[in-house]
Amino acid sequence: MKSYTIEVTESQRLYGNTHLLWLVEPEAFFSVTAGQFVMAYCGEGWDPLLGRAISIHRRRVTADGRREFALLFDLVGRGTDWLARRREGDAVRIVGPLGRGFEVRERVQKMLLVGGGIGSAPLIWLADDLVREGREVTLVLGGRGTPQIFPAHLLPPEVELVVATEDGSLGETGRITGPFQRLLSWCDQAFACGPDAMFEALYRVVADSGLRKPVQGLLEARMACGLGICYSCAVFPKRGGVRLVCHDGPMFDLRDLYG
Amino acid sequence: MRVDLSVNLAPHHKLELRLRNPIMTASGTFSNGLEIAKHYDVERLGALVSKGTTLKARRGNGVPRTVETAAGMMNAIGFQNIGVSALVSQIAPVWEKWSVPVLVNIMGETLEEYGTLAARLDGVPGVAGLEVNVSCPNVEAGGIEFGQDPRAAASVVREVAANTSLPFLVKLTPNVNDIRPIARAVEEAGAQGITVMNTVPALAIDVRRRRPVLANVFGGLSGPAIKPIALRQVYLASSVVEFPVVASGGAMTGTDVVEFVMAGASAVQIGTASFLDPSAAWRILDELEAWCLAEGLNGLDEIRGVARRRD
Repeated sequence: MKSYTIEVTESQRLYGNTHLLWLVEPEAFFSVTAGQFVMAYCGEGWDPLLGRAISIHRRRVTADGRREFALLFDLVGRGTDWLARRREGDAVRIVGPLGRGFEVRERVQKMLLVGGGIGSAPLIWLADDLVREGREVTLVLGGRGTPQIFPAHLLPPEVELVVATEDGSLGETGRITGPFQRLLSWCDQAFACGPDAMFEALYRVVADSGLRKPVQGLLEARMACGLGICYSCAVFPKRGGVRLVCHDGPMFDLRDLYG
Repeated sequence: MRVDLSVNLAPHHKLELRLRNPIMTASGTFSNGLEIAKHYDVERLGALVSKGTTLKARRGNGVPRTVETAAGMMNAIGFQNIGVSALVSQIAPVWEKWSVPVLVNIMGETLEEYGTLAARLDGVPGVAGLEVNVSCPNVEAGGIEFGQDPRAAASVVREVAANTSLPFLVKLTPNVNDIRPIARAVEEAGAQGITVMNTVPALAIDVRRRRPVLANVFGGLSGPAIKPIALRQVYLASSVVEFPVVASGGAMTGTDVVEFVMAGASAVQIGTASFLDPSAAWRILDELEAWCLAEGLNGLDEIRGVARRRD
């Protein structure tokens, strides 16, 4: 973890209200795992003051051998608006890589990935990795409507995609808990990212199923530092105590939070 | 050539509190130092101040605990901490291996608790001193904060002094009509110095929810937005005391540190700046050194309090 000022190599509105930024990857990022995140700093002065916690969305090596990573984020305020106005050649300061990412079991084959809204961002990279390793991947994406759903044509072709929208404009009508319930018995391991309410609903599905399926959730939280020093991003496991999303997570086994 | 930036925050105390430079970390903005020490050399800093520590472990407030504001942020963490016993058994042994002095920030809910905390930390290897947070409501006195009343603040100082052989600072709140009588009372009661200042009480409202943003309703404002307030409080407090004043409030650059020293500060704590950049304290130290070299200074004594002079 360090502070880096790095160059933007690509910047585009990818879909709906969601922006994609490709950046030159610092060397220290080579061992980063899916689910880790960066704090991205917006603006030139002290205002906006704090970084925006954004998970790493994808990584690539360009034709000339340069390593890059991508951030995918919704435009929700002046910080992300500033970030989205960065263009090729502009500089962005980030701190990272941060947090504990997904822990993929070895020697298991059937992987279920569940993303709610912008929670799809870190799952795409996980899907890229899992497909490359020759595993079977089913990706369930959910959102209010079509503008919240990551475009299918940008996924590896090996990924089986299931979409559920609340307004029925794309895929099944309803929430992702439907397809999740259906696919749970199929999978060996499940990974989820989305709003808190989604995790709770997923955990309930798992608990009610009686299946002892491991589900890792990547939590989103309001953070000031991302480093484990400001104590903003508290999460309170049902069993008691308190954990920090940035430092103890953002990946948690759902049983450790809701069990 | 390097400038000698060393400073002694407890020159009249038998243990002293010698810092190799005046750059400290502020309580609550550096956890207990272990996370950042994995990535940066904490030994280069003047001193570290621990997370606010209470007698028993505390889970802290619900979320949201922080919110960004114009050139600043508010927090109401609610003293989430592992409690003094775990601090002594798990954290202090790590500090003991470091040469950088670590001050433990303590907060009691009663006078007695301040004494118990001070006694628990007395003689613990790895603990170089204390910083006493008096921004806690004194329930026995109708809820006014200890730090808002000179007599209550002095009683905390006497209680801590009676229970420790360590040098200690008292961290004062800006939320008072006049900080000077409090600073004087704390000096007379036997503290080695003061930290000026704690965060500024504030409120943020979420118009969509029509509710305060923070779960705790109110929070403490910090960051560059409050630096001018902190400068004034440092200026006022250091005009009436002889002992060291440690500045805390929105320092982001080496020049900010120089301003605090010119107002009278002996050392400066880096707080919110560390949230934006974990290496902020080191960068600020480099900037301070560079400024001193450029100005041909041999030490900060040459400029300490100069802004208060009336020539």
